[in-house]
Amino acid sequence: MITAEQKPIDEIREMIAPYKRVLAVGCASCVAECAAGGQKETAMLASALRMADKMEGEERLIEEMTIDRQCVKEFVLLLDDVLDKYDAVLSLGCGAGVQAVADMYPEVPVVPALNTEFMGETKDQGYWTESCLGCGDCMLYYFGGVCPLARCSKHLLNGPCGGSMNGRCEVDPDVPCAWQLIIERLEKFGALERLEMIYPPKDWSLKQGRGPRKIVREDQQK
Amino acid sequence: MNDQEKPVLALFYCRNVPQSGEAERQTLEEKYGRSVRFFPIPCSGRLEPVHLLKALEEFADAAYIIACPEGTCRYFEGNHRAKKRVERTKEIIGSIGLEGERVGIVVGSREGTKTLAQQAEDLTARISALPRSPVHVRR
Repeated sequence: MITAEQKPIDEIREMIAPYKRVLAVGCASCVAECAAGGQKETAMLASALRMADKMEGEERLIEEMTIDRQCVKEFVLLLDDVLDKYDAVLSLGCGAGVQAVADMYPEVPVVPALNTEFMGETKDQGYWTESCLGCGDCMLYYFGGVCPLARCSKHLLNGPCGGSMNGRCEVDPDVPCAWQLIIERLEKFGALERLEMIYPPKDWSLKQGRGPRKIVREDQQK
Repeated sequence: MNDQEKPVLALFYCRNVPQSGEAERQTLEEKYGRSVRFFPIPCSGRLEPVHLLKALEEFADAAYIIACPEGTCRYFEGNHRAKKRVERTKEIIGSIGLEGERVGIVVGSREGTKTLAQQAEDLTARISALPRSPVHVRR
């Protein structure tokens, strides 16, 4: 899941200031799960913005709708029928959602309402943690299902660093030491020998170093 | 102070608050007229910030929730959740310059739990000094 947090209201108000008719568009996928940009959050933000406008005597139409996925064209197309009414879209999608809308409606300004944070998991209600960097070359097999690149504060592929105490990271004691987790897990299923290998630094030039990535699957295409 | 000048209260309340049935609500609505709008909900945990925000946006000068006393929520943690949601709503309205006391939660004590009518009276007294919300004052 892609996580995000809402931008401060002042920043959002500054960005929508030039527009008189704004459609706040939520996304019912990842950002709904992390309570940043789903239907409820979109309604809350739109309501707060309308109140702020009223308090300052600002005449602005702010309406809201939520689509299932803002990063998939078929869902974004639902905006076709309504966008004529508005000067701008305030997107509560992640960065991919904002850009998908911007890409489909080149003449409509799209304002981001969220700061996209990381790929992660829901650990508990209201608690999300980063768990994947999207490196494009998954090594979770070797590390017992715990990614040291995403979860070790020092991103060590050949750990541990030796600085952890009681299973907590020395950089931030709130964070469990990823290497302790890796060793405990590998030990449980008798695979500690995977750590006898020396893992060379990742060759980032093959993936992220090549500019924006894409996946092409001909079997999925029309 | 005439009815138009009185602050308008949106009062959400858990249906498990003593004497909060339909008959009592209707009597209270007659008593308070437009100055208090009553919203029964099955548990205070059903309350979302958007309910309080919409009330403040559309008609209310203050929006409060009455929850059950600590440890007595029929659904165990509804009142804890309501507290957190009220806090979140305070943050949101604070960020647009509205006073925090325009939203709040009232949690009865286990001893001498108050009825809906008593709570409504306490709350109307509490917010009576609040000026009309700048959201509803025409500029």
